[in-house]
Amino acid sequence: MDQKNKNSKKPVYSKFSQQELPAWKPILTPGWVIASYITIGALFIPIGLLAWTASDSVVEIVDRYDEACVPDDFSKNPQSYIQNPNIKKTCTRSIKVPKKLVAPIFVYYQLENFYQNHRRFVKSRSDKQLRDVKAENDTKFCLPVAYDYDNKPIVPCGLIAWSLFNDTYKISTRGKDISIEKKGIAWKSDAKAKFGSNVYPKNFQKDGLIGGATLDESIPLSEQEDLMVWMRTAALPTFRKLYGKINTDIEAHDTIKVEIQNNYNTYKFGGRKKLVLSTTTWIGGKNDFVGMAYISVGGICLFMAINFILLYVFRPRRLGDPSYLSWNRHPIT
Amino acid sequence: MKGWRGSRQGGDSASSPVAVERSLTSSSSIRLGRVQPQAPGHRTVFCNDRDANHLAKYKGNAVSTTKYNVITFLPKGLYEQFRRVANLYFLTISCLSFTPVSPVSPITNVIPLSLVLFVSLVKEAFEDWKRLQNDMTINNSCVDVLQEQRWESIPWKKLQVGDIVRVKQDGFFPADLLLLASTNPDGVCYTETANLDGETNLKIRKALEKTWDYVAPEKASEFKGEIQCEQPNNSLYTFTGNLILQKQTIPIGPNQILLRGCNLRNTEYIVGAVIFTGHETKVMMNAMNVPSKRSTLERKLDKVIATLFGVLLCMCLIGAIGSAVFVNKKYHYLELWISGDSQQFNPRNRFVVFVLSIFTLITLYSPIIPISLYVSIEMIKFIQSTKFINNDLHMYHSETNTPALARTSNLNEELGQVEYIFSDKTGTLTRNLMEFFKCSIGGETYGTGVTEIEMGAARRNGLNIKEKTASNTAREKGFNFDDARLMHGAWRNEPNPDMCKEFFRCLAICHTVLPEGEETPEKLRYQAASPDEAALVTAAKNFGFFFYRRTPTMIYVRESHVEKIGKVQDVTYEILNVLEFNSTRKRQSVVCRYGDGRLVLYCKGADTVIYERLASGNDELKKISREQLEQYGEAGLRTLCLAYRNLSPETYESWNEKFIQAKSSLRDRERKLDEVAELIEKDLTLIGCTAIEDKLQEGVPSCIETLSRAGIKIWVLTGDKLETAINIAYACKLINNDMKQFVISSETDAIREVESRGDQVEIAQFIRETVKNELQKCHEEAQHIVHGSTGQKLSLLIDGKCLMYALDPNLRSTLLSLSLSCSSVVCCRVSPLQKAQVTRLVRKGANKITLSIGDGANDVGMIQAAHVGVGISGMEGMQAVMASDFAIAQFRFLTDLLLVHGRWSYLRLCKVVSYFFYKNLTFTLTQFWYTFQTGYSGQRFYDDWFQSLYNVIFTALPVIIVGLLDKDVNASLSKKYPQLYKQGIDNAFFNWKVVGTLACFSVYQSVIVYNFAIASSTTGLTSAGKILGVWDISTAAFTCLVITVNLRLLMMCNTVTRWHSISVGGSILAWFIFIFIYSLVFVNKGTYFTIYVLMSTAYLYLLAILVPIVALLGDFLYQGAQRWFYPYDYQIVQEIHRHEPESIGAGLLEVGNQLTPEEERRYAFALLPRERSKHTGFAFDSPGYESFFATQQGVSAPQKPWDVIRRASMKPKSKSPRTSRH
Repeated sequence: MDQKNKNSKKPVYSKFSQQELPAWKPILTPGWVIASYITIGALFIPIGLLAWTASDSVVEIVDRYDEACVPDDFSKNPQSYIQNPNIKKTCTRSIKVPKKLVAPIFVYYQLENFYQNHRRFVKSRSDKQLRDVKAENDTKFCLPVAYDYDNKPIVPCGLIAWSLFNDTYKISTRGKDISIEKKGIAWKSDAKAKFGSNVYPKNFQKDGLIGGATLDESIPLSEQEDLMVWMRTAALPTFRKLYGKINTDIEAHDTIKVEIQNNYNTYKFGGRKKLVLSTTTWIGGKNDFVGMAYISVGGICLFMAINFILLYVFRPRRLGDPSYLSWNRHPIT
Repeated sequence: MKGWRGSRQGGDSASSPVAVERSLTSSSSIRLGRVQPQAPGHRTVFCNDRDANHLAKYKGNAVSTTKYNVITFLPKGLYEQFRRVANLYFLTISCLSFTPVSPVSPITNVIPLSLVLFVSLVKEAFEDWKRLQNDMTINNSCVDVLQEQRWESIPWKKLQVGDIVRVKQDGFFPADLLLLASTNPDGVCYTETANLDGETNLKIRKALEKTWDYVAPEKASEFKGEIQCEQPNNSLYTFTGNLILQKQTIPIGPNQILLRGCNLRNTEYIVGAVIFTGHETKVMMNAMNVPSKRSTLERKLDKVIATLFGVLLCMCLIGAIGSAVFVNKKYHYLELWISGDSQQFNPRNRFVVFVLSIFTLITLYSPIIPISLYVSIEMIKFIQSTKFINNDLHMYHSETNTPALARTSNLNEELGQVEYIFSDKTGTLTRNLMEFFKCSIGGETYGTGVTEIEMGAARRNGLNIKEKTASNTAREKGFNFDDARLMHGAWRNEPNPDMCKEFFRCLAICHTVLPEGEETPEKLRYQAASPDEAALVTAAKNFGFFFYRRTPTMIYVRESHVEKIGKVQDVTYEILNVLEFNSTRKRQSVVCRYGDGRLVLYCKGADTVIYERLASGNDELKKISREQLEQYGEAGLRTLCLAYRNLSPETYESWNEKFIQAKSSLRDRERKLDEVAELIEKDLTLIGCTAIEDKLQEGVPSCIETLSRAGIKIWVLTGDKLETAINIAYACKLINNDMKQFVISSETDAIREVESRGDQVEIAQFIRETVKNELQKCHEEAQHIVHGSTGQKLSLLIDGKCLMYALDPNLRSTLLSLSLSCSSVVCCRVSPLQKAQVTRLVRKGANKITLSIGDGANDVGMIQAAHVGVGISGMEGMQAVMASDFAIAQFRFLTDLLLVHGRWSYLRLCKVVSYFFYKNLTFTLTQFWYTFQTGYSGQRFYDDWFQSLYNVIFTALPVIIVGLLDKDVNASLSKKYPQLYKQGIDNAFFNWKVVGTLACFSVYQSVIVYNFAIASSTTGLTSAGKILGVWDISTAAFTCLVITVNLRLLMMCNTVTRWHSISVGGSILAWFIFIFIYSLVFVNKGTYFTIYVLMSTAYLYLLAILVPIVALLGDFLYQGAQRWFYPYDYQIVQEIHRHEPESIGAGLLEVGNQLTPEEERRYAFALLPRERSKHTGFAFDSPGYESFFATQQGVSAPQKPWDVIRRASMKPKSKSPRTSRH
């Protein structure tokens, strides 16, 4: 008997090889379809409402200033204005506050049609150099802003750093200055790890074309929060960057005065500049999209559920009706 | 019994398989060991003299069938890999990604490619390793070699040319040997060549007389011969050479050569001299490369991939145009005009920008073509074939201890799309076992057995007949008859004992069987030209008329119970004349003289010819007998009528003179003999008839039934005669009387008449015209019926000779059109070449997926010609199996192979392939949408590693699990509802419609994922007001994408096992684990800390719930609506059986031939009352293709049963299962 078993080529039984693994066999019955739709609808609408109310409670003030800040004589040729270092670029805007802004109030600048996500732009940086003082020569991706005329490496190198945004805002209300706090606007991880505390700006914006803001060479990169914010490249050509925080409330119907140093050249490429003041809630700033999406998806699901129920009533199909089998409908000849 | 003659005579081109091969090779696409041109010169072998042979530097006897060795593995293996277009494509992309135009770092493409290559190379290495091990076992098996007057056992690989070896009984020859001596008298030995050509009959080899004595080692060591022979070549049946022994030159031929791979039978041992070794042996030189087949699905896949490539180019073109338009000096912050690094964005040269952008974007969008697709498919198919098909207990045949074997893993899903099956008859549908089953004597029918068909008929009438296993059934090979009324002399009490006596005597005397062995009923064995004859004689023995000896003039019969019960006496009959059987006469007669001088002519033959020659009168008996004949025929039995005629000495003498004259005539002897026979074969008295069951393989009718319900059309291609073929077609339920039968046969009187005139040109022309007319007539009629409303099924029967003309290019299309409108086609008397031609006709002409199944060497052609070749294993030789793609032990396992494994494989592969497209398209499209937002610069959306691991880790495993485990309905339901198979034939699951739908969903989902992810990117997303960067957004988008794509897979599943959940959950988890680690470790990446940043926002969670649900809502809606309004068949079946628990362990039960209630019902339907059958089932003798060939080529090769060599070549039936090689 043993001998026989040894020679036997009979396959050994296993659930896997006999393809008999226990399985759940879901069948998408109308019940399931309707139930799923109702469940999704029932879950999504409340979530959506929650998110939407949160978003609704956010006060957001947007003020576009790029055009308004060009003196009328230059309106035909704003570039000659922005590129002339001798003209004073100060510009004052007054903005009405429709609703009370509760601290903390966040100050953003918004750029449009600015391709921070262009491949050439994104690539043109050296994370090693930013982090490590020894890697200051690591500029191979920074072209064309890698070395100055003396062939010394620029720190921070690359197009991104070079084009650092340099408009500044001063806000006052009722004649009283409101301080804008510039600390803590960058992500902590950037300050801690990506920007070195012993790396200081060097040869930055020294010669040739100046792309944007200059940096204080006595402050290490890890404390240059504007740079950090700028260098976390945006996903889309329209983006906001955090400029600072205001820690005092601004009452409704107040008028705030913003003194803008309009330095940054967006006129060349037709970009827009906007100043944004916004409060936040648990979902962040003004963000109607999430709430609306949840509510509409929930609504659509309920609608589909109703449709399916109607179909179920008017065009029922008995489950497992053999007359639906194709060979019963058109017999194989 | 095929082909022994050929090898014995060394390539008699008329009748040997060499002829078969030559004719096959001439058709160019079938290769059966092409005969290579011989190397010039000859080799001289000094026997028993290693030193002398050393100079010639012959190759050793070690063989290697491996593809690679340690050094060549990498270069050769890689070369093989890069011969695939897909891999080459990815290599190009990888190279591109090293250039500055690439938006992604090289790892993005290199990692997946190397992983894919690694997996493929590991598989190659594994397979080669197995080959190496196989080689090692062969090389290290031992053989006795003569050394110092003693037999020393040394491994095969050490064997050298010129060595003298001893091979014992059942041992394999280690090299090509010259037979010197054998322990058998006359220096004869028997060899079995099953490994070479699949023939199991023994072949005889005879040593030269001069060398007979060298049996003992002492004597053999004195042997100092010199062999001069041809250079190694691959012709199995030829050999020329000389043996120079004691200054005498003796010619040697193939008759003295023993080939490696064959083994020794019925001989204690032989002594031989090694001539060819190792790779120079004939069998190794014959090793054929089976042309690798690709499945239809894969070819379709190539088209889809080409389309995808087109889409890719379009996307690149759009992007490149955009890029060329976008580049502009005005974006000063990009400093585009400073060509510091490259010309990529130089606004002054927009054409260069355009061209370089194309390359950039190709690199960026390259994942649109799924890199891991091929390797995943390969893996899935490999596991499907090795773990599922090879291990299926339903396809394990316990009698022969043979499991199913998938010899290639390329064609699993092809099994799910087969529309035409071409089947061999003998050995495939039938067991080639004739059993005496029933008989009718003097109008009384005997035999209580029921055939499978009759059982079905009985069930229809509500009777439940179980196959009786009565103890009194006398069963032996060829005899399966159970009726006490005839056994043990009980026939004496029957109404007509005299008739019974005549019946038995006719069986015992009128035949050409040779007895062999000891003359006792138990030990004596009958050697017959056809198994029918053996069955009849065996029947006579069991009835008490034991034929035990034959001399040229006498037949000795031991008769029992003739005079009184229990009395046994030896009686001799003098055989005066034998009027042999041939296909025109359809009968066989013997004139014999009893001991008391009584002269009797016994005749047996087809009912039609016998009835014509009966004496008038006794119409009642004739009528009853005819009815019984029809009954037998309907039951699928082969019938013969038995008759006798008492002759007066005068009649006989006068006739005998004419007979002798005819026999000695030199011209037209055959015809004259036939004419003379007519003179005496008349006024016969009908005795009765016999019904022999051509034992079908188990479960064949129900298997065919099931397959035809699945929409598969079955064609039988056989070397047998028309009658036999029709008979089997009836027995297999391929043909029934409700069908319109078109018969195109060359066996008509008109053709015979032309043939008798002997003008070859005229014959050819005449047959061509006849065939043409017949074809056109049938075709018209067929069209009429098909377009009519009767719904009558059609069948076509055509014989080989007509087929030869019908396959003519002019008639081919008519033949094809006619045969495609028939539900069953039977081609009889076809040659192996024609089998292949017919297969190819349907494959190429109708563009349908074909499957050929056969068991013998003559089926090799059609097995290779069809899309899928199936060999019957475990029975005869290996040739068919060696050429096949799948080997199964029984025809009935086709049900499991096709309806279960094939269908599942097809479904699964379709799912896998479409899922691959879907996931990669979705991924690439999100990337594509992003291009529009980046100034067409080709900036990547995702991190390099996300992209490279997307295919190989985050979405790889679940799809493989689905490819292995997904089942729409379980195995028993697959067989219960064979119609489900139709969807595979119609290719319902992978066509352009399916791909198009998928593409739409892909677009939809990518739009949702991309737009939802970026929608909130401008606003601050934490209460701390901080803003997310591009890498944060893309990480969030990628998270949503991975979840969506994995959940989408779950939605595609019919079954969800634990492994599904583990793999899907695991893949999503793998992504999170990866990103948790990745975003911590790589500080210099944009992705540093992204996931932690994201997780501090509520936004991520809201998005991760929202996006997958919205993205999959479309699919959900589609699936719900589709199921509701346009349910697939399998969905209905799922619903019907939704409450039934899965039968676990069903495979443990022996699967017999039990019919399910559904099948029984089908049988009942099939057997509803209908027109009375006119089919009486005459069939006799199966000459096989070989003699057909002989007649076709004008060489007569009549079968002489008492041929001595044939007798020797009868293979003793071995009791033990065949021992496999080594």
